[in-house]
Amino acid sequence: MSEHASRAAVSTATASPTTLMRVALRLLWRDWRGGELRLLLLAMVMAVTSVSGIALFTDRLERALLQESATMLAADRVLSGRQMPPREWLDEAARQGLATAEVQAFASMVFSDQANLLVAAKAVSEAYPLRGDLRVADQPFGAAYTDNAGPARGEVWVESRVLPGLGLDIGDTLYLGDGEFVVSRVLVQEPDRQQGGMMDNAGPRVLMNLDDVPATNIIQPGSRVTYRYLFAGELVVLDVFADWVREQSDGGFRLRDVRDESQEVSDALARGESFLLLGSLFAVLLAGIAIALTARRYSERHFDYAAILKTLGCTSNQISAIYFGILLSLLLIAVVVGSVLGWLVHEGILLLLQSVIPIALPEASFTPFWLGALTAFICLFAFAMPPLLALKHTSPLRVLRKDLVAAPLSTSLPYIFGIAGALVLILWYSQDVLISVILVGAVAGVALVLSAMSYLLLRTGSAAGMRAGSAWMLAMSAVRRRRRQSVLQVLVFSLTIMSLLTLALLRTDLINDWQAQLPEDTPNHFMMNISDSQVAGMQSFLQDNEVDANPFYPMVAAGLLTVNGAPAPHPWDDDDDETGRSTMTERAGAEQPDDATSDATTETAADGSARPQRVENRQVTWTAQLPPDNDVVAGSWWGDDSRPGRVSVEQDYAERIGVSLGDELVFRVNEQEITAVVDNMRTVRWDNMQPNFFFIFSPGTLDHLGATYLSTLLLEGEDKLLLNDLLRQYPTIVVLEVDALIEQIQSIIAQVSSAIELIAALVLVAGALVLLSCVNATLDERFRENAILRTLGAGRKLIMTSLLIEFAFIGLLAGVIATIGAELSLYYLQSEVFQQTFSLHYWVWIAGPLAGTVIIATLGFTATRKVVNSSPLAVLRQLSA
Amino acid sequence: MTAMIEARHLAKQVATSEGQLVILKDISLSIDAAEAVAIVGVSGSGKSTLLGLMAGLDSASAGDMILDGQNLSTMDEEERAQLRGRSVGFVFQSFQLLPSLTALENVMLPIELKNDRDARRKAATLLQRVGLESRLQHYPNQLSGGEQQRVAIARAFASEAKILFADEPTGNLDAATGAKVIDLLFSLNAEFGTTLVLVTHDDRLAQRCGRLVRLVAGEITEDSVVDGVGDGVGDAAHV
Ligand SMILES: Nc1ncnc2c1ncn2[C@@H]1O[C@H](COP(=O)(O)OP(=O)(O)OP(=O)(O)O)[C@@H](O)[C@H]1O
Ligand SMILES: [Mg+2]
Repeated sequence: MSEHASRAAVSTATASPTTLMRVALRLLWRDWRGGELRLLLLAMVMAVTSVSGIALFTDRLERALLQESATMLAADRVLSGRQMPPREWLDEAARQGLATAEVQAFASMVFSDQANLLVAAKAVSEAYPLRGDLRVADQPFGAAYTDNAGPARGEVWVESRVLPGLGLDIGDTLYLGDGEFVVSRVLVQEPDRQQGGMMDNAGPRVLMNLDDVPATNIIQPGSRVTYRYLFAGELVVLDVFADWVREQSDGGFRLRDVRDESQEVSDALARGESFLLLGSLFAVLLAGIAIALTARRYSERHFDYAAILKTLGCTSNQISAIYFGILLSLLLIAVVVGSVLGWLVHEGILLLLQSVIPIALPEASFTPFWLGALTAFICLFAFAMPPLLALKHTSPLRVLRKDLVAAPLSTSLPYIFGIAGALVLILWYSQDVLISVILVGAVAGVALVLSAMSYLLLRTGSAAGMRAGSAWMLAMSAVRRRRRQSVLQVLVFSLTIMSLLTLALLRTDLINDWQAQLPEDTPNHFMMNISDSQVAGMQSFLQDNEVDANPFYPMVAAGLLTVNGAPAPHPWDDDDDETGRSTMTERAGAEQPDDATSDATTETAADGSARPQRVENRQVTWTAQLPPDNDVVAGSWWGDDSRPGRVSVEQDYAERIGVSLGDELVFRVNEQEITAVVDNMRTVRWDNMQPNFFFIFSPGTLDHLGATYLSTLLLEGEDKLLLNDLLRQYPTIVVLEVDALIEQIQSIIAQVSSAIELIAALVLVAGALVLLSCVNATLDERFRENAILRTLGAGRKLIMTSLLIEFAFIGLLAGVIATIGAELSLYYLQSEVFQQTFSLHYWVWIAGPLAGTVIIATLGFTATRKVVNSSPLAVLRQLSA
Repeated sequence: MTAMIEARHLAKQVATSEGQLVILKDISLSIDAAEAVAIVGVSGSGKSTLLGLMAGLDSASAGDMILDGQNLSTMDEEERAQLRGRSVGFVFQSFQLLPSLTALENVMLPIELKNDRDARRKAATLLQRVGLESRLQHYPNQLSGGEQQRVAIARAFASEAKILFADEPTGNLDAATGAKVIDLLFSLNAEFGTTLVLVTHDDRLAQRCGRLVRLVAGEITEDSVVDGVGDGVGDAAHV
């Protein structure tokens, strides 16, 4: 290009967008090489990594858990009831493109020529199971293989225990009702073993073909049969079908998924999800703070740039465009790098969790990446943009007069942007108003407390400083000199430490709670329907076979009639939908063969009108010893010197029915009315899969009313064979096998626990990043100040000591505030979100401040040591350039 | 010939905690194209402030400032920035290079901002002209003060400005280095036919300009043609 042509190309027009972008990219590249942008980029990458990583992981885990839980149902959705749902619904589901199957479950006696046995019979259609596998063997306790065909007509598959129980071998004949069946396989495992009422699982399984059921004549009007329609297919189709069913049935039937079926699993999942959410919120928030801090420092260093660019003819808008370009490029890099890292992180977690998540995970969707990118975008605009855009207000006069204030822009504006951005992020991201409110409240609270506290402390600090040594004086005067900065630092440090403490404590509490819920030795068999006279014999049977016996609880159904003479209210009216808590005991007891859950009697109400009152029957017990996992919270436990006529009530239940200590309750037990006075209130762990009772009576109150006993056993592997001997000796007792269910819950809890650990670690990294950027943010000023101090003759040792004291002081302050904040937010989180009981963590009150002091002092000292180690001349020259 | 720079009754005052501080009062001054003017005066007399006003880095409290035929007083900061980009180059006491860019990139910057594709070659030529052809890829902190100021001079001429403002360009340099830098400044100035406004304490430096304007407490006390160097362009007048 000739000189002339190029001159012609230079129009009077100002810099074009491409020119500005080129300048932006060059600045970006040079600043990157100079290390200026590393922390900023790191913070943004961190935000994207944590969000996309956590979202990817939860996305896939969630789907995996749903898939796994689908095998718990043998289907994606189940429709069940005591009545058979309309047959047309199956056809409609098939028409909509869903796979369907049908199951009928009932308890029945089966016979061989020598013996009989109460079994849990289950008749299934050809398509069963829709999800999961049927595992069978050709020998009792033989090697298992998969056979999803199900028993052919005229055949049954039975659990191992049935064969010795009836004295049969494979190929022999078994009688069920009017039917005659060949035992063709040993059933080792069925996916939905635990589904349905407990009675469906009372006894070993006999699996038969649905088409054989009519010929047995076993199902008569009034028989207790559980009907289940199984559905599997695409999620959207399932949802459409669920709506259709709801319309058809007026809410009488409902499609359930695993969350409806197992309170324990759904609790664990819900808490795990809340924790992951909270963790990623903290991670994003911390990354946001880090972004804000680093962007601020970056922009402070660029005021000179802006001024020089202005003298070179850049307009304010062009300067904005340049820095916008820089941010946009950063965003792009952060999104790409963060997404890749996020992917790696989640792959890493999965690798770690391989043993706990044995199933193949479904492919991740693209949403997590969008989430990560969007988060980075919001973070950028809320936290990084304001200080950088303030650059355009730089006066070009700055090139002549250095002292001109850098930002004439109001300094509170960036914070307003940041706070608004954080709020949007939290709400949008959590979609959970409660968690958002708690989080925002915690942050606001800390900021508020801090302002007051640091103001006071920084003041008293000055008074103390006058008396103390000169290093202390130097440190305190530094803290006061940078009061705004010091307060900001304490704020950032305490928010970071608070986040970490909250998550760490929550994690520990959750995991401890789960371990306490279902410890390794949780009994996994319920024995019920044991008569008074059988108890002693069974206890010695267990002792002879070296199995640990657990307490035998007498159990009887009791209906609460009146409270202090007034009719008892019903805390949970809808007993079909299980809106209330139902314990293993209730679930088991309610299904006892001849025991209805509720019945109607005609009572004369207080107003004289006769109306039927539905009485809710609860399984109750009596005991002198307080059962494990029960805590008396009002009154006191009667212990061994109890008097008859007392009752202990579960606290929540008492609240719902409006009962307090000393109230007189009248129960109907086996057609007799029993009066008892409320002696104490208990809390109960409902999720421990153990016998739990709303009402416990003092011994001597109900003893004469013909209770049966309930006990639990821990039987694993080969030990289960003992059940046969036990049942042969005591044929009338009922054994519920919940080992598969407990194992499943334990495995899901283990998965969720690992996820929680990981999130806590991720947030830790984010927190470290914030601490680092916060310390770095004051570095320039420290360099200048210390160089001046040293030229004035202050010794290295003095400056080092004063630095250490300064950071330790700020760290201590932050630690104290963080501890208070963490305990407060934990209180609200645990009681409102995680449904845990909160108790103060005493050790944290020491550990929090101590950790704050040590960490901040170490970090700050390490980062600023180079301030002291560089020669004052070099520093002054560097800064004046 | 019309004036390249014309100040009419220019005044500047700022609000301080102790009330209004008058920095400049009633400055009238006219500088023709290709003239070289030195502004001298004791520290605090308002030299830098006047330079800033003339270059459109700041706006006056009163009076008109006409630069290259355009009235700065009626322009906003955006328009002034564009005018600076077109017509004005700067050399500062503290060099004011962008520390994260190399010498070459610093000189390229004003050329690029004019959308000139040929920036790299032109910048390299200019750096060669100031004797830094071997330091193109060096960063400012790898250069001595004199070298940095030579880069700044190259950058000032890179924008093909009609007017060059220099605020104590030798203030941070020793005498020998300062002299070299000044030689360079004047020879480039002559070569490009630029109008030069130079603020300095240094009388010997002032002698090299054709005209000398003295400020005392914000007022012009002297405006004279300098003997020996004068090329007959300036007006000799005592105020
Ligand atoms: N924005 C401002 N606010 C307050 N005072 C100002 C401001 N700008 C300039 N001054 C004051 O006006 C006076 C002139 O300043 P100016 O920088 O123009 O002086 P100078 O002649 O360049 O001095 P030096 O030779 O030391 O650079 C000084 O006393 C300065 O403190
Ligand atoms: Mg000056």
